[in-house]
Amino acid sequence: MSSFARHRIPDGSAQSARLVPPERWRAALRHAPLGMILSIVVLAVVFTWANPRFGSVENLQNLLYQVAVPLIVVVGTTMVIQMGSIDLSVQGVMGASGMAWILMSPNSRLAVDFGPWAWVAALALGLGLGLLAGIVHARLKVPSFVVTLGTWYIGLGIGVLLYGNGMLPSLTSETLARWPTRLTLGVPNAFWLAAAALGLGLLVMNYTRLGRGILAIGNNETIAGAMGLPVASIKIMAFAVAGLLSALAGILATMQLGSGSPDIGSGQLFTVIPAAVIAGTALSGGEGGVVRSALGVFLLILLNNGLVLAGVDPDFQSGIFGAILVVAIIAVSWPLRGRLKVAK
Amino acid sequence: MTDMHPPVLRLSHICRSFGPVKAVNDVSLEIRRGEVVGLIGENGAGKSTLLKILAGIERPDSGEMQLNGCPVQFRGPRDALRAGVGVVHQEQSLFTNLTIAENIDQHSSARSGLERAGLQDWGRINREAARALAKIGVRLSPTTRVGDLSFIDRQMVEIARAVCIDPGQGATPLVILDEPTAVLEAAETQILEREIRKLRDFASVIFVSHRLDEIMRICDRVIVMRSGRLATNKPISDVTKDDLFRAMVDGDHQPVVRRSSPATRTPVLEARGLSRGGAFSEISFSVRPGQILALVGSNGSGCEALMRCVYGAEAVDGGQILVDGRAVRRWSIRKAIAAGLAYVPAERKTEGMIAGLAATRNIALTHPGEGAAGPFLRPGRMARVAQGWFDRLEVRPNDIHAPLIQFSGGNQQKVVLAKWLNAPALKVLLLDHPLRGLDVGAGAIVNRQIRAACAAGAAVVLIPDTIEEALELADDILVLRDGRHSACHDLAGGGAPSIQEIVAEMV
Amino acid sequence: MTDHSEILMNRTTLAKPLGGRLSRLASGHVIAPPLVFAVMLGAVWLLNPNYLSPFGISIVAATAAPILLLALGQATVLNVGSIDLSNAATSLLGTILLAMILPGYGFWGILAILALVTVIGAIVAYAQVPSFALTLGTLGVLQTAALVTSDSQTIYLGANRELVSTLYTTNVGFVPLSFWLAVAVALVFWAALQFTRAGQSMTAMGKNETAAILSGVPVRGLRIAAFAVSGFLGGVAGLAILAQAGSASASGIGSALLLPGIAAALVGGASISGGQTNPLNVIFGALTVAFVPMAIQALGVGAQSQSLVYGLFIILVVALTTTRSRGIVIK
Repeated sequence: MSSFARHRIPDGSAQSARLVPPERWRAALRHAPLGMILSIVVLAVVFTWANPRFGSVENLQNLLYQVAVPLIVVVGTTMVIQMGSIDLSVQGVMGASGMAWILMSPNSRLAVDFGPWAWVAALALGLGLGLLAGIVHARLKVPSFVVTLGTWYIGLGIGVLLYGNGMLPSLTSETLARWPTRLTLGVPNAFWLAAAALGLGLLVMNYTRLGRGILAIGNNETIAGAMGLPVASIKIMAFAVAGLLSALAGILATMQLGSGSPDIGSGQLFTVIPAAVIAGTALSGGEGGVVRSALGVFLLILLNNGLVLAGVDPDFQSGIFGAILVVAIIAVSWPLRGRLKVAK
Repeated sequence: MTDMHPPVLRLSHICRSFGPVKAVNDVSLEIRRGEVVGLIGENGAGKSTLLKILAGIERPDSGEMQLNGCPVQFRGPRDALRAGVGVVHQEQSLFTNLTIAENIDQHSSARSGLERAGLQDWGRINREAARALAKIGVRLSPTTRVGDLSFIDRQMVEIARAVCIDPGQGATPLVILDEPTAVLEAAETQILEREIRKLRDFASVIFVSHRLDEIMRICDRVIVMRSGRLATNKPISDVTKDDLFRAMVDGDHQPVVRRSSPATRTPVLEARGLSRGGAFSEISFSVRPGQILALVGSNGSGCEALMRCVYGAEAVDGGQILVDGRAVRRWSIRKAIAAGLAYVPAERKTEGMIAGLAATRNIALTHPGEGAAGPFLRPGRMARVAQGWFDRLEVRPNDIHAPLIQFSGGNQQKVVLAKWLNAPALKVLLLDHPLRGLDVGAGAIVNRQIRAACAAGAAVVLIPDTIEEALELADDILVLRDGRHSACHDLAGGGAPSIQEIVAEMV
Repeated sequence: MTDHSEILMNRTTLAKPLGGRLSRLASGHVIAPPLVFAVMLGAVWLLNPNYLSPFGISIVAATAAPILLLALGQATVLNVGSIDLSNAATSLLGTILLAMILPGYGFWGILAILALVTVIGAIVAYAQVPSFALTLGTLGVLQTAALVTSDSQTIYLGANRELVSTLYTTNVGFVPLSFWLAVAVALVFWAALQFTRAGQSMTAMGKNETAAILSGVPVRGLRIAAFAVSGFLGGVAGLAILAQAGSASASGIGSALLLPGIAAALVGGASISGGQTNPLNVIFGALTVAFVPMAIQALGVGAQSQSLVYGLFIILVVALTTTRSRGIVIK
């Protein structure tokens, strides 16, 4: 292809701008989440200085263990936010799937073990809730925050129904209960699972037509529709993937806790939404990315971990993250104010 | 020039009406291979409707469209793309967060096996984008994010996207450029002009512009539309700029100019060197009580933005606004209203009125007058106020409690006007296209009210739909071109300019 | 000007005032809430008539009181086109603070909450950020505040208890005072929407904010006011909860009222897109929602699953009432 050679030729004439290698690097750097990485490094240094225990191998492994669940959730949440929508349902989906999974795995309440089918059923439940949200949002044109507020509580209700009035279902299989904490190559399995979810998210966003469609819709939904993109199908699929990932997170969280609870996802929403927002995933859509959001999760969990080590009550977590969310979205939208701008 | 190929585009007797308005009225034309055809016309002449028909956004009511000799009917924009019609819109329609290649690929219908499996075939997309970019001779890397490009480069990507379609053997793509230069700097415009000339080798081009100089430089042929019809369709060598000015406006018709000399009082509203980045710069004007000033300019001239800034709806970057001779500080809509300003926006349905609210309440929204006592509303008095305006402005249906959405456009506009005329002390009436979409009867009533407000001592700043309207209503005309002061006419004092003169100052 | 269309116009003019007003009254969002309530009532009666005994009604009304107050606050915010995800948390925090300081300070707690919520309203209005995102953040903050101030304990009312408990113990026609208080608030709210400039302007900005701004409506002030009202009514709801429960805790009654509050407002005909609120219908919405746990119990399903029903309610109601014009982008 001669055309490929052509754009590399340095050309002195005042043609249109083109990207020569140094400029290309600059462009790449411009989009790199340097601020996030810097913040993480600074926080880590400060916490290590304040409490040497922070930098210990055990604590770092603990950090990776803690980060796993929100990391899985944030991949799906980011996809939905990049599309310009929002998914508030994560805690409900986690509760429903976690309960479904534990009741079909070896547990103290029911003498059953469906093995892999427990996973299939729990993931299918999450997928179904995501599909429901996606279909109602895309086909019936209901704002996504309302739909997912609804599916949040539907999921929670399913979890409560499954929990019933019986005794606490706890995991009886040692193998399953230990799996998340067990180390592989020095890293907890829980984190490997999260890393796989992150990798999947990266693949979807960069190498599938679904992912590119999500970005196009987030950038300008009207044009996307006019260009003939299947907007409704893409939206439905994005919500379905988010539901699936929330379900996976619910299973992992249940495994980590060792027992089932409809409230297994409690507080996750206040981790993943602030994480996505501080990482530059604009709530208006189109910007940001799963890697950035993952860094956001790291930053928040790191912050929480450091504060807990410094003696701050863990109850404060949702409050601190909520405050971070408030400050972050205001900071992002402050320069975009206008006299006639309408923000509902 | 005899051409054995069929014309790239042939329109025969295309018509499209919106209600009683014939936006496109019996238009027939041909565009040959490799031809660059300029399309001009005043605002509302039917250009944009014609372009929408070509782009598959609107469907014609009647008439036939042929591309490369085959009759076509577009059900949507995508059909037009497949048939080889690429449009570069005035507002750019690129995804800024995707790469150049992906944006160009949006028009292509080619799909590889990978893509049928739902995957992104970067190899094919980048290859085809590189080919499209090479075709128009632009050196850009297909993997660059569009958001990182300058404005002119984005325009190039749009053109590459328009020409990347392969409408089939021997067929020629048709590229429509809708005011592509309106937002470009002079140097960028030159680059674009050069690119357009290159397109001749493999495509036909329809070039829409309000700048006649550009049309004369670039095009082989020029089409002038006026009131939905083709007024002129001639090779560029056969016409002069004056011919085109004449063709754009009805040459024989000269409106009666109003000549009342307003009282020589001090200006109630004055603008001194107002500027707003990207919209207008260094604009000054003043209006006295009882005076009507018309702001005239073509698309993108900055008239609308200027009016919104004067009203406080947008911030200015520089200059001063004076009301009653005093410079205002921290200007805002609320302050403007308190100072006696009123604004009727062009977008009536989305900006001018609350469609779901009853007519009475729309009227009482800003200046309830006797319809309110302090913070409380008095429904009985509110209804009486509304009924008074309904009678005076002959609003039909005569139901003051009906939501405004149930009224016709003309009657809605009467209610919008009533909202402002109800002000206790109306000083300045800012009217942005007050007659847009109105039938003759409603237009006459609105015009009568404007004159009455004037006679009662209000100053009026008007952005008219047509130059005729400006000449009929205004005492002074300020002409803007590309956001800058172009000319100023005192109709009451000096002689009235002809429509052609004003058009020449606009473009 | 007596052409054909003009004659036609005149004819419709004659027909309109009567027929038009009737049809406007009969439009869906006006009669739907009472209708839905009647269906709910019928269903409960069929399933278990005991629920409609004087005692049953008194229970439902007591449950409905805080829901109605929260729903009225939510409806105020919905009416200006925003949403307040934090009003139930405000109420919860208010309840706890009140239980803590009632013996000493009385109503200062409510004032403090009112101040907080006004700040939130100011932030939403000035920063021009989507309200659901911002109030999600404040929801986290307020929940944490509730947990921390109560130290995760249940706080029982001590001295001055009768100041609030009369709301629950005094009955007027089987129905506790707290419910009548809420109904009174609804009436005041209705009158405010109909007969004040502020109420009319709020509806106008909810229907079309751009046009409202261009008409000189002080949208910032009104948005702040709407959030302040929502917070204030959250505080009053806290009062009703405290009266009924006699104690407050971060996980007690009131910790799960966010969804019932929104559901009651929506079932009561408030539109999620703004500009459509009838406070009188919200009464029916709150009563319908308050019947949900009973209906579920009557069906033989555990009452804990009520959040599932509320979730379905919200989705269904919004899906049924939302306007879908072509080409509009719904995020």
